[in-house]
Amino acid sequence: MPQFFNKKLLLLLVSIIVLVALIGFSLREREELTWPEQFLKDTTGWVGNVFNKPVSGITGFVGGLKDLQHTYDENKKLKARLDEYVLLKTQVQDLKEENEELRDNLKKEDDLRKYSPTQATVIGRNPDRWHEMLTINKGKRNGVEKNMAVITSNGLVGKVKSATDFTASVQLLSSIDKANRVSAIVQGDDKAYGLIEGFDDKKNLLLMKRIPYDKKIKKNSLVITSGYGGIFPKGLLIGKVVDVKVDQYGLNQTAYIEPSTDFYDINNVMVVQREVDGVPKESEGEDEAE
Amino acid sequence: MRYFILSFIALVFFVFESIFAQMFAGDAFGADKILVPHFMMIFVFFLTMYGSRKMGMLYGAILGLTYDVVYTEILGIYMFLLPFLAYLISKSMKILQNNILVACLTALLFTAVLEVVIFQMNIILSFADMGFGEFAERRLIPTLLLNLAFIIISCYPLKRMIEMLDLQGETE
Repeated sequence: MPQFFNKKLLLLLVSIIVLVALIGFSLREREELTWPEQFLKDTTGWVGNVFNKPVSGITGFVGGLKDLQHTYDENKKLKARLDEYVLLKTQVQDLKEENEELRDNLKKEDDLRKYSPTQATVIGRNPDRWHEMLTINKGKRNGVEKNMAVITSNGLVGKVKSATDFTASVQLLSSIDKANRVSAIVQGDDKAYGLIEGFDDKKNLLLMKRIPYDKKIKKNSLVITSGYGGIFPKGLLIGKVVDVKVDQYGLNQTAYIEPSTDFYDINNVMVVQREVDGVPKESEGEDEAE
Repeated sequence: MRYFILSFIALVFFVFESIFAQMFAGDAFGADKILVPHFMMIFVFFLTMYGSRKMGMLYGAILGLTYDVVYTEILGIYMFLLPFLAYLISKSMKILQNNILVACLTALLFTAVLEVVIFQMNIILSFADMGFGEFAERRLIPTLLLNLAFIIISCYPLKRMIEMLDLQGETE
């Protein structure tokens, strides 16, 4: 009997060692997943795709019925805003033309704002909600690569954490991970730069840290990506400031940002590829730091 | 053939968890509550209780590994934990009475254990920053309620199905 017990204890110890080794292996910053992982992800991605179609059809129909109830009120509001919109549109058009003209004059072709989008559908979400991740149905075959920005029509939602041939995992901005940072700007008369890192999931607010202490930040000013991270294009909307606090040593400020997208209700996303190449690999900037 | 059916059911649970999370991630149950579906784990627990320990641990390891690879990208945690809990559950079923009510409660208890251990692992790996009180209020209790509902709905069909596949013959 003692011998039998020892065998089991040994097995337990060995498996704990394997466990620690595996965790260590997967926490490392990895350029690419190993092929068994890629194979598993592609296979389950395919199955998820098959199941997702009827399910999303049904939820779409139910959602449509719900929307129908509010149509009348919404329509009134939208009509009121239509005039405003036409005015804004002509202004934007005008500014765009002027911008292009000036660019032509300067012979400056690089633009951090330019990007090419790839449409994708969300086919799954990480059920254990510690790591907020989505699975989308586009992968390397469609040009999706690690670290690309992922947006919805409302703004930035996250970045591609890993891509396989036919699927990709998207890490949401709300996920708590030290490596998950985005360089951002608070718009206003006095632009303030900072890093989006961390998420207060009780209040559903993003934290923008490392803003210099002397910057005056107004509430309700918009926050966009700066494009200085090396991978993200400039000008993707992140959210708006709701609160500002000075950090504990008084050297920096932290802004609390209400995200413009709902991280919980995402069905269709766009993966965006910036047209200007980033800096060389060694110094890929904030998005890769740590 | 019966392994094929069993694997297919396991796969359905595996994918269904993700789709459930995607559909009900929003504020269907209140915005700050987090409900984690553990349907696949409950399947493994029932497989251990009504099938055999060997099968339970084997399926636990394979499903756990797949879960790690596909969803969390931190390898090892579920792969290790599921067979371990399956082992414990088979030990405890030898002491406990084997009726369906006790089985359901045991499955729920082990779901709670799983959730707490995963929470502690994430604290260690610094992927989580909430205190235990907050965790209990926002995650543990809603999660247990959801999984209790699932257990109540599915315990009888699961039991019948596993018994029909007749895995008892495999026990040592």
